[in-house]
Amino acid sequence: MELQKTHLYNFHKSNGHLIDFAGFEMPIWYDGIISEHLAVRNDVGIFDVTHMGRCIVEGKGAADLLNYILTRDVASSSIGQGRYSVMCNENGGIIDDLVAFRLEDEKYFMVYNASNRKKDFEFIKKNAQSFDAKVKDVSDEIVMVAVQGPKSVNVLQNISDSDLSSIRYYWGSWVNIEDQKVFITRTGYTGEDGFEIFLWDTPLTEVEKAERFWQIILGAGREYGIKPIGLGARDTLRLEAGMCLYGNDMNEDTTPLESRLSWVVQFEKKDFVGKKALLRQKSEGIKRKLAGFRLLEKGVPRPGNKILFDGKEIGQLTSGTFSPLLRYGIGLGHVFLKYAELGTQVDISIRNKTIKAEVTDIPFYDTLKYGRKRQNV
Amino acid sequence: MKESYDIPNNLQYTSKHEWVKVIDGGNAIVGITDYAQKMLKEVVYVELPSIGKKATKGESCAIAESVKSVSDIYSPISGEIFEINEELENEPDLINKEPYEQGWLFKIRINDKKELDELMNSEEYEKHIEALSKS
Repeated sequence: MELQKTHLYNFHKSNGHLIDFAGFEMPIWYDGIISEHLAVRNDVGIFDVTHMGRCIVEGKGAADLLNYILTRDVASSSIGQGRYSVMCNENGGIIDDLVAFRLEDEKYFMVYNASNRKKDFEFIKKNAQSFDAKVKDVSDEIVMVAVQGPKSVNVLQNISDSDLSSIRYYWGSWVNIEDQKVFITRTGYTGEDGFEIFLWDTPLTEVEKAERFWQIILGAGREYGIKPIGLGARDTLRLEAGMCLYGNDMNEDTTPLESRLSWVVQFEKKDFVGKKALLRQKSEGIKRKLAGFRLLEKGVPRPGNKILFDGKEIGQLTSGTFSPLLRYGIGLGHVFLKYAELGTQVDISIRNKTIKAEVTDIPFYDTLKYGRKRQNV
Repeated sequence: MKESYDIPNNLQYTSKHEWVKVIDGGNAIVGITDYAQKMLKEVVYVELPSIGKKATKGESCAIAESVKSVSDIYSPISGEIFEINEELENEPDLINKEPYEQGWLFKIRINDKKELDELMNSEEYEKHIEALSKS
């Protein structure tokens, strides 16, 4: 099957190294994962995330439909407000994680993982039949760009008349970026302050419009050292921030309660898919839980590495990498509750060598110095 | 993206991008080429063989990792490893900065000098990587 391309493919091809990601030919890195990663942590970076899935849910029953398929209440969202949530199956297993923005009283905009584009859309559509709501896949009609890092607001403010700093975390707004009207949200997948920008009504035939928009932001960011960022650094950034990756750290066999996402499950709202199973798990208590691990010796942990306690396997890493900021190995994995306590000493088995590690808090970095809540920017 | 690669003419090469420099008659220094380090990019961890290990030509005897990839390094010749570059433990990116100098990997006592005849010279290696970048 031929790989899909985003509008910005030509830029990626001439400036980066390409890989197949969820059926898309996307840049893994341009400059190098470490330099790109540090640009976002310290300054600012721009990502093409057009490959992600997007749909519009519209109609009198839109809020009811979403409240039935999402674990979080989005009927109480204000217009412009977004909420991070998961969508579960009847067993409470996670179908996907996503963000739902309320655009109008009866109109929502959903953004979900590239790898789940088809599955999510079909799940939403199937459930929509029982509600007075229509679902439209707009994945191929919107260019999506993320601008992330402590300087992201400075970069975009250079080219917008709206006060971008007043947009609250997880809220969105229609603004002009130069002469282009866009929907911009204070969201991201890096742990840093930043924005995701949606260039509406831009089908794949409008490559030039997308390229021009991308170059406008690159130009505005030059004085702040903006870099284009590939999927390699996108992964290390989210992992340092302790954010789960669908397919690695969560899937249809793990529940939000086990994946440190209890805060997106609102049992007090009416029936929703998976509620019964999740309530049962809540009252019985979870057995396993996602924990963060940091290596105390040299080595690079990878997904699939065994986690050992006293020589016995207690779980496997679902994510793992060398942290470009901290300069040591970090990872995530599900383990029985008693091993998930901070400071628990474990070993990670890498190519049959055991490397000392310990359970550590996430985000992995010092949140006073890095991330969107940092002090003294 | 177009890259150019440094290929010193006083070294010998393997098709898997290791270089060999013969020193004091029966010994050799081994490392990876400029092409290999550019492919790997940003080496963050190197696992070297232990001293005394008997390496066999063509078999994996070291590992270099970047943030996203794990690459085997194959011994270009058979023999006993008698010294490893311990600097790489704390500064693995020496491989990126100086692949032919400070970024060397290990020294090996050559078992059979005839194996050296099977390695490529710099011209042959240059053709080899040209062919790779075309494919």
